Amino acid sequence: MGTTATAHQPTMRTYVAVWIALLAIVAVEVALTMAHWPTPRLFAALLALALIEAGIGLLYFMHLRFERAILFWCVVPTVVFALLLMDHIWPDAYRMLHMRLLP
Amino acid sequence: MSHPGMVMGVGAPAAHGAIEESPFGIQSKKLAMWLFIMADAATFGAILFAYGYVRVGSPDWTRPFAASSIVNGVVMTAILLTSSLTMLGGVAAAQAGRTSAALRWMSATILLGLAFAGLHLREWAAMIHEGWSPSHNPLGGPALFGATFFGITGLHLLHVISGAIAISVVAAMFGRGRLNAGHVETVGLYWHFVDLVWMFVFPLVYLMNAR
Repeated sequence: MGTTATAHQPTMRTYVAVWIALLAIVAVEVALTMAHWPTPRLFAALLALALIEAGIGLLYFMHLRFERAILFWCVVPTVVFALLLMDHIWPDAYRMLHMRLLP
Repeated sequence: MSHPGMVMGVGAPAAHGAIEESPFGIQSKKLAMWLFIMADAATFGAILFAYGYVRVGSPDWTRPFAASSIVNGVVMTAILLTSSLTMLGGVAAAQAGRTSAALRWMSATILLGLAFAGLHLREWAAMIHEGWSPSHNPLGGPALFGATFFGITGLHLLHVISGAIAISVVAAMFGRGRLNAGHVETVGLYWHFVDLVWMFVFPLVYLMNAR
């Protein structure tokens, strides 16, 4: 992260490279889907790739890599924490599955 | 007696340099946009978790998307990613003082965003024609598929359309000199966030439900 605000401005060349990388990740996601992996394995792979895409988008497209570190450390851990709090619902979802409450 | 740097006026601070620099080193409008993005990320996270919850809890979840739907989704993803690239071009041009170039880049972003919305609505129309709705599954599986699909994609589509409108307003006012490059950058942040959300929606809602 930059030590001062907008310490470095990436060029359009950098942005195009990031764009190509993101398109390549999308292509990998589609290829994995076509490979018909078991659902849990496919989900883990797609989620991991989505998180990588999101990270690249946050750092470069949203310029977070070039802002002051304090902005990154205020924004990212807060949102991650909120999402991790939501990530505790799965035992109840599996309980619902076994009870066959949903049609 | 006045002093250079002293702000005169009712309720104005009398001391020189009384207003502190932001610790984030960015303009207030940009910080406000980051705070909104954080809240919106939690909203989309909640709706995606809710989708995962009902999907895991359903023993016979429907996976209706044929190859044509996946191809359409890939095209939509490519369009949205390209619109983020054109938005970056707009921001760079605005910051360099090249107003005409910035307006051209932003126009391209708006057009790509509307193309995304058009493809999405076309897909919705086809699904509705097949009998899909938020409360009905024509394949006989859980109706919650329709509820989650239309809910998630509908919320994202709302963000895309409102983003296109926001960029249009900013572009028009920037062209007239009433807004500056900071405003262009701020609305660009929102647009990249909308794109970032789609990076989760496409694999989790489309690819995970491919036949």
